[in-house]
Amino acid sequence: MESIAVALAIMTGGFAAIGVGIATAKAAEAVSRQPEASGKIMQIALIGMAMAEAMGIFGFLMSFLLYSKLA
Amino acid sequence: MEGILERLNEEMAINSRVFSINAFGFDIPISETMISMAIVTLIIIVLALVLVKVKKFTPIPGKRQTVIEVIVDFVNNFTKGQVGHYWKSFAPYFGTILFFLLISNIISIFNIIPTKTFFYDMLRIEAFKDFPVYQLKPPTKDINVPATLALMSITLLLFSTIFLRGIKGFLKTFIEPSPIMLPFKILDYFVRPLTLTLRLFGNIFAAYVIMELLIIAVPIFIPAFASLYFDLFDGILQAYIFIFLTSVYLHENLETAH
Repeated sequence: MESIAVALAIMTGGFAAIGVGIATAKAAEAVSRQPEASGKIMQIALIGMAMAEAMGIFGFLMSFLLYSKLA
Repeated sequence: MEGILERLNEEMAINSRVFSINAFGFDIPISETMISMAIVTLIIIVLALVLVKVKKFTPIPGKRQTVIEVIVDFVNNFTKGQVGHYWKSFAPYFGTILFFLLISNIISIFNIIPTKTFFYDMLRIEAFKDFPVYQLKPPTKDINVPATLALMSITLLLFSTIFLRGIKGFLKTFIEPSPIMLPFKILDYFVRPLTLTLRLFGNIFAAYVIMELLIIAVPIFIPAFASLYFDLFDGILQAYIFIFLTSVYLHENLETAH
């Protein structure tokens, strides 16, 4: 049962990947529409990606904590 | 697999004492984090002393003056763009936090201290077996350090709002867009330090754990490239995001609706 909890916690990685993918896609779209604003778009995209990625890392941390309890 | 789990549990223990100082009748434990933080502080102090050794600031900058100007300009422009009117009082704080986090997040790439078994294998001298173990690890890996920094940021936010806008203005920030927001605004003061702490700690700790697992799995060649992302890029990005979020919170409280 605890193993299922660990697996569910690590699933956040997949969702975080979807979030980062959406952010990258939108950033690419925005740059292709307005190439002169690429600097600002890059900054916003990087920060958004880091935020989305942090969720995945929370999940990794949770699964790790659960797993170390398990053994 | 059993050995790995035990070692990682050991890593997560907050009070990993290296040695302790006996002073005033107390036994003061010195943990790994404290030594790493002292080293980071030392690096910052030495860099500052070396860079500021300019004879005279001239309109045409010399080598050192150029470096200082780039750093100070970056911090000043960042604060000016984010915080707005009162940027001058906040720029030193942002600069300090940024460089402390920058150096402490990437410090593990300077970890060139050999382990005690390395000395023993090289020289076969029995005395090296009792050598104290110390590895240079990022201090932000310990949850106490990000928690302290987050509390500092939230205290700065609270007091600067009270000082710069007065008690009345401070109370007004709670009901600013509409009074419905009141519970969320109160909750913000508890959630914000928590998320600031967990974001920094989670990222650095996870990066550290991933690097350790990778080094156990593939000891050669691949960790070099992974370290470039996990230690260098992630560390710098998290340092920037920490001060970015602090400045966003400040902007929200100080600049909206005068």
